[in-house]
Amino acid sequence: MTREEMLAFVEAVLERVKAPHAVAVLSEDRLASVRFGQNRITQNMDTFTRELSISVGDGSRRAEYTSHRIDTTAIPEIVKTAERLLEGSAADPEYMPPVEEGQIYPVVEAWDEQTAAAEPAPRIGAATAAIESAGRAGIETAGLASMAFEKTALATSTGNLAWHQATESGFQLTMHAGTGSSYVSTHSTAWSGIPVSDCIEQVVEEAVAARDPGESPPGIIDVVLEPQAVADIMPFILMALNARTSDEGITVFSGMEGESVASERFTLRSEFGGPVPGRPFDREGLACSEQVWIERGVVRAMHCDRYWARKTGRPAVPSPSTYGMDGDAGTAADLAAMSSRCIRIRRLWYIRFVDQKSLELTGMTRDGVFLYEGGSCRPVKDFRWNWKPLDLFSRIEALGKPVRKGWLTVPPVLVGGVKI
Amino acid sequence: MRKLAETAVAELAAAGVQYGDARVESRSLERITFRGRRLEEASLRSSEGIGVRAIVGGCWGFASSTGLSVESVKSAVERAVEIARRGAGSGAGGVRLAPLSPQKGSYESPCVQDPFEVDRLEKIGLLEKCSEVMNSDGRVSLSWAQIHSERIERVLASTEGSLVSSKLIHTQPTLIVYANHGGDSQSRTLQCGARAAGWEWIEENRLVESSERLREEAIEKVMAEEGPAGVMDLVLDGHNLSLTMHESVGHPTESDRALGWEANYAGRSFVKISDQGGLRYGSDIVSFLADNTLPMGLASWGWDDDCVPCQKWYLVKDGVFQEFGSVRDTALLIGRDSSRGCSRAQDFGNFPINRQPNFYLEPSREPVTPEELIAGVKQGIYIEGRGSFSIDQNRVNFQFGGDRFREIRNGRLGRPLKKVLYGSRTTEFWGSCDGIADERFFQPMGLLNCGKGEPPQSARMTHGASPARLRNITVGGGVR
Repeated sequence: MTREEMLAFVEAVLERVKAPHAVAVLSEDRLASVRFGQNRITQNMDTFTRELSISVGDGSRRAEYTSHRIDTTAIPEIVKTAERLLEGSAADPEYMPPVEEGQIYPVVEAWDEQTAAAEPAPRIGAATAAIESAGRAGIETAGLASMAFEKTALATSTGNLAWHQATESGFQLTMHAGTGSSYVSTHSTAWSGIPVSDCIEQVVEEAVAARDPGESPPGIIDVVLEPQAVADIMPFILMALNARTSDEGITVFSGMEGESVASERFTLRSEFGGPVPGRPFDREGLACSEQVWIERGVVRAMHCDRYWARKTGRPAVPSPSTYGMDGDAGTAADLAAMSSRCIRIRRLWYIRFVDQKSLELTGMTRDGVFLYEGGSCRPVKDFRWNWKPLDLFSRIEALGKPVRKGWLTVPPVLVGGVKI
Repeated sequence: MRKLAETAVAELAAAGVQYGDARVESRSLERITFRGRRLEEASLRSSEGIGVRAIVGGCWGFASSTGLSVESVKSAVERAVEIARRGAGSGAGGVRLAPLSPQKGSYESPCVQDPFEVDRLEKIGLLEKCSEVMNSDGRVSLSWAQIHSERIERVLASTEGSLVSSKLIHTQPTLIVYANHGGDSQSRTLQCGARAAGWEWIEENRLVESSERLREEAIEKVMAEEGPAGVMDLVLDGHNLSLTMHESVGHPTESDRALGWEANYAGRSFVKISDQGGLRYGSDIVSFLADNTLPMGLASWGWDDDCVPCQKWYLVKDGVFQEFGSVRDTALLIGRDSSRGCSRAQDFGNFPINRQPNFYLEPSREPVTPEELIAGVKQGIYIEGRGSFSIDQNRVNFQFGGDRFREIRNGRLGRPLKKVLYGSRTTEFWGSCDGIADERFFQPMGLLNCGKGEPPQSARMTHGASPARLRNITVGGGVR
């Protein structure tokens, strides 16, 4: 659907609503992807979803209904169902009316026509190139090449009307050489921004270098986290950066607003227009804004819903869906060269809370661990770790150049003295 | 729905594909959620659409679309065939399906009382009461109470002449209560999980009484001492074992992992194709029985998404690995003549992949009580429920927690503990099992959110076990 058609649809939905408060969200998503494993294409997909969510409220009760029946003739029944649900609901002591009118949404450019067209040839070509390269190297590959778009139209009964569209391309690739392996994950708004050949060449080379890993030495050692590994643990920090759960005493940030929680080298912010474009508004129609979450190690802002904002006198802070950690210059290899003896970790896996309150996590390393000592570098086996990420980021000795990893932009990090 | 599925299959056949199938689905999902004393969510989601698969020149094509119009069906068929043809040109497919005779029939999961027929205000009232009970002590900082009800209707037709349908009702109650004390915060969670059942599953779990018990146990837990470190014996209840089994038995015995198809995301498996019928997986008393015919089971759909009938087989028998769970395009590659029927997609919008079956640890055939297992432990820990969980991508090196911990000393349960972790390696762990309680103490546990695949999909299945004793397991500091 076009922008005009989607906006007209959500306005038509609101016109039918009798309840005093309503928010209608119409979304379209397309995801086309090729998946491969064991040096063969195993899945080849093109999925399309169009759905309407309508939230209605009467000043004390709320209800939400989602449907896939998107045609104007279905609107009366969809609205009727939502309002019937509202009648069968109960009072919400935290009831909030829709966001105030006059929201000013930032302009976020995130669209690429070629990616939105989702022609299969580039994806199949990328998969085939990876399979052929692996075959030539006598190793095994698996991965995913994808193109996607999403469009969202939103209307609130308070008069806000918003629309956003975004495309996303991705190429993730694993190669296995014996018991060694390597991995890369790249994302871009446009498929043309995915360096397919470079990724394949890099992963083949790294997988071969990771073949036959030896034992990893236990003890205290410097650690270089590659950007992927930083991106793997960062969501746990972002999840804990929540004003309400922190006030409720459940997160590591309880009582820490304005306090130092990490090294002065650790700054976490959200900015539009970077490698991860971000979103201009949330599902309620609240405008997103740029934020500095942690500045030089000090907690400056937390996500905060509208109810908790009103209750505590803070500003409401939605997620802008783009987060970046400040960095410096250089690669993970450059950081490793700064240490006399260190472990370089490519990727972290199966990360779970050991203790939510202290933000202690456990997980495994995966797809490339290297020991640097005495001027040489050799692959070592994966190991289990139990770390507190804020402890790691309190011992940052150097940062490299940030790169995009999914919805994050993060640098490689050299951390001093980590228990392995 | 049936007509649309047949229309899609006719279009696939007309397009000259090697194989094609169409899944038409209609789903309703109701979630009512209290956060603390607040009704945070009262939502209903109605989804409907079609997923179409085609094989052309040995390459899959899959397309899906929401909505149940003839136009959306035709669009999905055209896109599936088109991308299959484009993929075939690469020569990188090579799909061969295990043979299957045409399947016909319908399956309906057991349901005494349809949860969608229960008055919404009754559900809200029940959860409101639970929330009041959980928050009636000042040491409780947060609680969650939820009822998840889902109805799934599915029609699946293929160009091989199969036409099957399923009607499933899945229900899950959730209760979580957090207590704070001395700068710490700990939680207790209702452990029953989801079940292929109706409102009767909600009633059976006596949510108000459970809320009171969980509140007291959360307070007890946050005030408890931290668990000891060292090598010791464990007695694990069925809910705790269900998650350990899921990660260390269910995933490594998925055929697609063993083949390397999940290597980029969910990971591979230490179990090799050649290990079927020979690998020592556990002690002689350890048998894991897969059963997708289990009436309460969340993976009991009648037929899987390849139209293969649901089956029952041993993954591990008397401690020896027997056979992988498989799908039609992996069965021949692992040396089998037919699929075990493990192909399931999250919904019509996802490509079906190899998922875990329902499976459980067989209880002792002789009468054995949990107390007898505990009596045989000089120093150890009794663990109830699921907690922290993590395992490497080959499914060998794991670390698990739990939800409630009691010290065992000289054969008796002792003081409560908190922050207990145990770690081991898969075959060593199951090899250390020297006692399993009998079926009177069996606890099933249904999971709705097993993640796997790219793009990620969730799947559901049911596990279960009676309490079991594991010897000489590394606990606490040794794991850290």
